Amino acid sequence: MSRGILAPVGVVLSAAMSLATAQAEQFKCPRTGGNFVFGQEANINTLDQMTSSTISTRNIAMNIYESLMTRDENNHPILELAQAMNEAPDHLTYTFKLRQGVHFQNGKPLTSADVVASFDRYAKVGNQRSTLDNVDRWDAPDPATFVIHMKRIQPTFIEALSSFSVPIVIIPAENRDVPAQQLTQPIGTGPYQLVEAIPGSAVKLKRFDGYQPNTSFQERTGFGGYKQACFDTVTFRIVTEPGARVAGLRTGELPGVEDVPSKSVADLKQDAGITILPLKNWWIQIASPNVSNPPTDKLLVRKAIQAALDMDEIMDAASDGNYQLNVGFQYPNQPDYTDAGKETYNIHDPELAKKYLAQAGYQGEPVVLLTNKDYPPMYNSALVMQQQLQAVGINAQMKVVDWPTSVQMSQNTTEGWNFFYTGWGTQPALGALATMQFLVQPNASYKPVGGKDDPDILAAWNDMNTLPTPEGRQNAFALMQKLVLERVYAVPFGAFTKVQAVRSNVDGFVPFRIPRMSNVWFSH
Amino acid sequence: MTEPKRASPFRATMLRLLHHRLFMLGCVLFGLIVLLAILAPLIARVDPNKLSMRSKFRPPGTDFIFGTDNFGRSLWSRVVWGAQLSMFIGATVVAVNAVFGTAIGTVAGYFKPLDNGLMRINDALMAFPAVLLAIGVTAVLGPSVNDVIIALSIVYTPRTARIVRSSVIVLREMEYVQAARAAGAGHWRILRFHILPNAMAPLIVQLSFLFAYAVLTEATLSFLGVGAVPPTPTWGNIMAEGRQYMTDAPWIITIPGAALMITVLGLNLLGDGLRDVLDPRLRIQQ
Amino acid sequence: MGGILVRRLLGAIPILLLVSLITFGMIHMIPGDPAVAIAGMSATPEQIANIRRDLGLDQPLLRQLWDWYANLFRGDLGRSLLLGQPVVQATMLRLPVTLALSAYALLLTLLIGLVTGIVAALRQNTWIDQAAMVLAMIGISLPSFYLGLLMIIVFAVGLRLLPTGGYIALTEDPLGWLATSTMPAVSLALLLAGLLARITRSTMLEVLRQDYIRTARAKGLPGRTVVVKHALANALIPITTVVGIIVSLLISGSVVIETLFSIPGIGQLLTQAVLNRDYPMVQGGLLITTALLVLVNIGVDLCYAWLDPRVHYDGA
Repeated sequence: MSRGILAPVGVVLSAAMSLATAQAEQFKCPRTGGNFVFGQEANINTLDQMTSSTISTRNIAMNIYESLMTRDENNHPILELAQAMNEAPDHLTYTFKLRQGVHFQNGKPLTSADVVASFDRYAKVGNQRSTLDNVDRWDAPDPATFVIHMKRIQPTFIEALSSFSVPIVIIPAENRDVPAQQLTQPIGTGPYQLVEAIPGSAVKLKRFDGYQPNTSFQERTGFGGYKQACFDTVTFRIVTEPGARVAGLRTGELPGVEDVPSKSVADLKQDAGITILPLKNWWIQIASPNVSNPPTDKLLVRKAIQAALDMDEIMDAASDGNYQLNVGFQYPNQPDYTDAGKETYNIHDPELAKKYLAQAGYQGEPVVLLTNKDYPPMYNSALVMQQQLQAVGINAQMKVVDWPTSVQMSQNTTEGWNFFYTGWGTQPALGALATMQFLVQPNASYKPVGGKDDPDILAAWNDMNTLPTPEGRQNAFALMQKLVLERVYAVPFGAFTKVQAVRSNVDGFVPFRIPRMSNVWFSH
Repeated sequence: MTEPKRASPFRATMLRLLHHRLFMLGCVLFGLIVLLAILAPLIARVDPNKLSMRSKFRPPGTDFIFGTDNFGRSLWSRVVWGAQLSMFIGATVVAVNAVFGTAIGTVAGYFKPLDNGLMRINDALMAFPAVLLAIGVTAVLGPSVNDVIIALSIVYTPRTARIVRSSVIVLREMEYVQAARAAGAGHWRILRFHILPNAMAPLIVQLSFLFAYAVLTEATLSFLGVGAVPPTPTWGNIMAEGRQYMTDAPWIITIPGAALMITVLGLNLLGDGLRDVLDPRLRIQQ
Repeated sequence: MGGILVRRLLGAIPILLLVSLITFGMIHMIPGDPAVAIAGMSATPEQIANIRRDLGLDQPLLRQLWDWYANLFRGDLGRSLLLGQPVVQATMLRLPVTLALSAYALLLTLLIGLVTGIVAALRQNTWIDQAAMVLAMIGISLPSFYLGLLMIIVFAVGLRLLPTGGYIALTEDPLGWLATSTMPAVSLALLLAGLLARITRSTMLEVLRQDYIRTARAKGLPGRTVVVKHALANALIPITTVVGIIVSLLISGSVVIETLFSIPGIGQLLTQAVLNRDYPMVQGGLLITTALLVLVNIGVDLCYAWLDPRVHYDGA
């Protein structure tokens, strides 16, 4: 596969097709049956995937719903409910041919009318409806065909369409006008269907017997591929206490858990009945500077701060040892990865920092670190960073509030804070485009003065979006990353490893952005 | 007109207190904590916020008297400085309560037309479960020390006001007050010389218990994550942080908790003693 | 009696009205908005803005207040922003959990507190009395969450006898419920038992001193009968008042204990709701909770009046 920003779909498609025609073996459940109980760490407030951006909702909903297109194990766009896609030579029309024989969990067959209704609803209440900003209209010339007409050329449209952050899941046409967040009886085409949802407690799914797997693939891959529901039922139990998840894992009450605290890992590894599954590169721990507020309005002060940081010490405290150092905004295993700007990372040179401070004429003005207690990694990284800054003579102070307040402050004010601590999870996983979105208007994370983006950054961003070739777009990304790091518009600390775990009688579970319940079975 | 019995048996009261064994025990315990709080700059030289990842999770008794926490910070320092903060908060809340609670209670008890309205608001505030109201107010004002004090004052002043009001209502009807009024004494004079001094006893008892409630509720708020801002150490947030490390380092929880308990115990003994000496009748109501 | 009931119920209405107004004002003054909490950590500003709009959170405050009261009169307390379910349903699911725990704690309180207090009063000034009062003193000085933490360290982490937290419903598995509820109930009960013991003791002592007890004794009735019939009956009056306070302290204490032991009750629900700015949940949940407390207090007052018809209850 080619490197660079997601290869044109045609390439991916034909590769998949050739695999299919080779008549290779498709996945079969070695064993079926059982109720898989999965300990999830956060509450869900809705299963209406179109209107939700939370991980906890996606965990469950993506086992119930499917979309036209999605991403594979390596983040490339693949077809899911469509069996073929044709992009017109003028790039203004995309024609999807739907797969045959697909049914909804209420027994109805899938037709293009349902796809139209789904897009209609998404355009109205979809949490990320801006995905469709460049779309003029869509229609269904026949029950098996769906066509999207663009207003203007968007080379990155397929990448956006296949995004899993708030996917355009396909719902039955009769759900078209259900208001936002109110779709309490989700009906999708996925391998599992909803039995009941007890808010705050658990969500039960059961195998959808009428499920039609995607025969263009042999195996589950990413969010799509050839999926099979091996379990009879799956229960997502909401267990917010880490200690309780560990305990449940030990007793077998929870054959799988979404997250195991780092400190427990060493202990659990001793247990032969438990399989530890670390998921590297779960999120990027990051601090965003505020360049509208002194003293971080001065580049030299920001460079001093950047020079003073010891990323190992920060990430160790933030993740209790479960981390990777990481340059930039993508991970090494992703096609978009670039180490442009690596000379700015983990400099750990206090003398250099002091030099920059002197050049900047720093007089001891306070540098306020805005963080929160709700996410320990954010709190811990701020605490350690404060120490490191104080060690080079910077008057670093902590401002600890709770998560919603810190987000509101970082978005709505340019006063009272100099660094905002957060984690970028879904966006880097989606790709460079989704991530760099944070660094341009509206609401660029570094609070550029007067709301006007740095013109060089903006130019690179535009190239990332509009250049016709993948190589061109990738180069634009590398340039943008280099500029952001050199001008210290963001301070990424490193990549956080999320540790999941299952009992050793559970086979086929591979951690991914969501816990995939297909192609997982009890071996005994 | 005869002046009612003033606090002239003051010395007698003091002597009785000094002989009350449990009261003295309470003074010793509470005094110990206050002493720690005052002497903090001298006895806890190590910066309570100084991180040292190399020294994390040291048990008590080695180079660190009380051990260290997950960031290698000295628990002794954090507990001692936490004592200072707790004492400060407790004392301030008591002071605010003394002033406002007395004022509101007196006005409500003495001036009948204002009673109803004031007591409605009072009851409404008291209807909230205390901790929830405190959480709500701190959420609004923000988690700084001053805001915690305001929150605690809002929660507890109604209770103090109620107690003062009860006393004032009873005293208002006493013979000597009626007599004083008949003689033409103004309201202020009556309040100052006849009513307030005799309402003091239950108030003082209440205030000593209030100190304990204030310290306890502040610790609870910090434990829930809504109290004074970290990394400032308070007993409550030390215990909250220590909760994740229960298996590795239980001392992070047991030691600050013990300090909290000693403080509350001391204050309770103090309050009991005061009540025994000042007004034994109150034993039944409290 | 009926008159008292009606009067107290009517009197409760303005209080509840004030409570809901204070709640509304307070929660809307909290900085930060629920859209952020709902949107999750990785949300983009656009996603947050969309959620805010979809949930009507960008409406003017007075409009939101008006809508809430209008719905209240229709019996609709709205939907929890965070849980996605109706407030009434969410509250009703959690209330039995807290009530069960509180009942268990109340039982322990009454058992330990009353027995200790009575025994101490009957054996006044002996070592039994001293020991009982020391225990009671320690009980009321031990912060409930500290006791809870200590019990977890000893029984759950150290001895592995009981789980560190979580909850199993009584209807599902009574033994499991007992296992998960014992440490929380004891944490709550110890403080209250201490309080009850002290009050019971002093009340009993006061009553035992009464003339008519001495008279009854002089008449030659056996000691046990004297105690049970006269002293206890009279002591019940102030004790009943205390029960009212105890119940309200139970609800208040459950906030911390439920959070500590991860018990899905009302206390935890409301705490999370306030922290996440789940406006409908806080308003509705607090209203239901305070209404319950007010009802309990009215019930206590009625018991008080029934036990002692001499009391002319003026609501002071």
